[in-house]
Amino acid sequence: MFDLDEMKQAWAQHDRKLDECIRLNRQLLSRENLNGARSQMQRLTVLLGMEAAGWFVIVVLLGNFMYYNISILRFALPGAAADLYAIGMFGVMIRLIVEVQRIDYGGPIAAIQKQLGVLRVLRIRTLQWALLAGTVVWAPFAIVVFRVLFGLESYNFAWLIANLVFGLSLIPLAIWVSKRFSGRMDRSPFIQRLMNDIAGYNLTAAEGFLSELSKFEEN
Amino acid sequence: MTSPALQEKFQSLVDEHKKILYKVCNSYCRNRDDREDLAQEIMIQLWRSFGSFDERARFSTWMYRIALNVAISFYRRESTRTRFVLSSEALLLNAVDETAKRPAEMQVLNEFIGRLDPLNKALVLLYLDGHNYQEIAAVVGITETNVATKISRLKQKLEKGEQHV
Repeated sequence: MFDLDEMKQAWAQHDRKLDECIRLNRQLLSRENLNGARSQMQRLTVLLGMEAAGWFVIVVLLGNFMYYNISILRFALPGAAADLYAIGMFGVMIRLIVEVQRIDYGGPIAAIQKQLGVLRVLRIRTLQWALLAGTVVWAPFAIVVFRVLFGLESYNFAWLIANLVFGLSLIPLAIWVSKRFSGRMDRSPFIQRLMNDIAGYNLTAAEGFLSELSKFEEN
Repeated sequence: MTSPALQEKFQSLVDEHKKILYKVCNSYCRNRDDREDLAQEIMIQLWRSFGSFDERARFSTWMYRIALNVAISFYRRESTRTRFVLSSEALLLNAVDETAKRPAEMQVLNEFIGRLDPLNKALVLLYLDGHNYQEIAAVVGITETNVATKISRLKQKLEKGEQHV
């Protein structure tokens, strides 16, 4: 049997000894080192910024495509679908960047962890939707790219429908494969994380933490 | 304040409170590499946020908030492997012969802390460091009554020697 208050005495005694035992490497804390290093959140911001910039370029290019093809329905429709997807992705990236910038680690733990939890849920949902919707949207994108690069004049409408249907059928397959095999991808953490995102495991964990946090705050 | 002066002040304050860094890293990470990664991650976050530190507040409280917030995120991160952020060679925090000076009760306490979830770990750390309920409530962001209830439950669990906390 142990008493936390008795332990507190032992902790205080040990705490006094720590001063003699621990040394902080001041050399590592030089301004060059500190300013040059990036925290996890800064790396995430840079990554999101690059993604947002990429989607912005795509939105502009698709806008240009729409301007020249607005009267040709067979190209305007795939262009509009691809543009909607790109605008959606750009918007979500901006929202993620804003959420990351709002996080002040000097705030109370419960509030900051909730913000981080919400951010994690948003990031996972975005990735899930981007990947799953991507299986359908790639066909309109392909039409736009072929039109721009090779001056495609027409395409078989049945081909478009077949690819959309094929893309839709890939969604449950991707979820099933991810659920079935993500556990075996230990050697590739990136792929495993991606599969866990698609399977919804990471989302469940993130939502679980948020619910744990709510209970912690309640009582 | 000029940047070199700001940095000097930062270094002095962190040096003065280096035990917080050590205790948080030790409580949230089992292996040495992870502890070092976490220490560096906390240090970077402290430096980045130092400009917004309100000097009327206690530095230790502010440092605890940042260190615990970074530690909980680090603990929960999906990818377990992280890289060194400041340097891959030198250690930021060196503990000389520290474990040899640990009394037996400290081993038990460390095991107990190790079994706690990240949020309760933060509570126990602050409690053991002598903060009162009001201060703990301010760092964690819950009510004082809630802190008192949780500490009381944790005490009971430790007394009963529960394996799963």
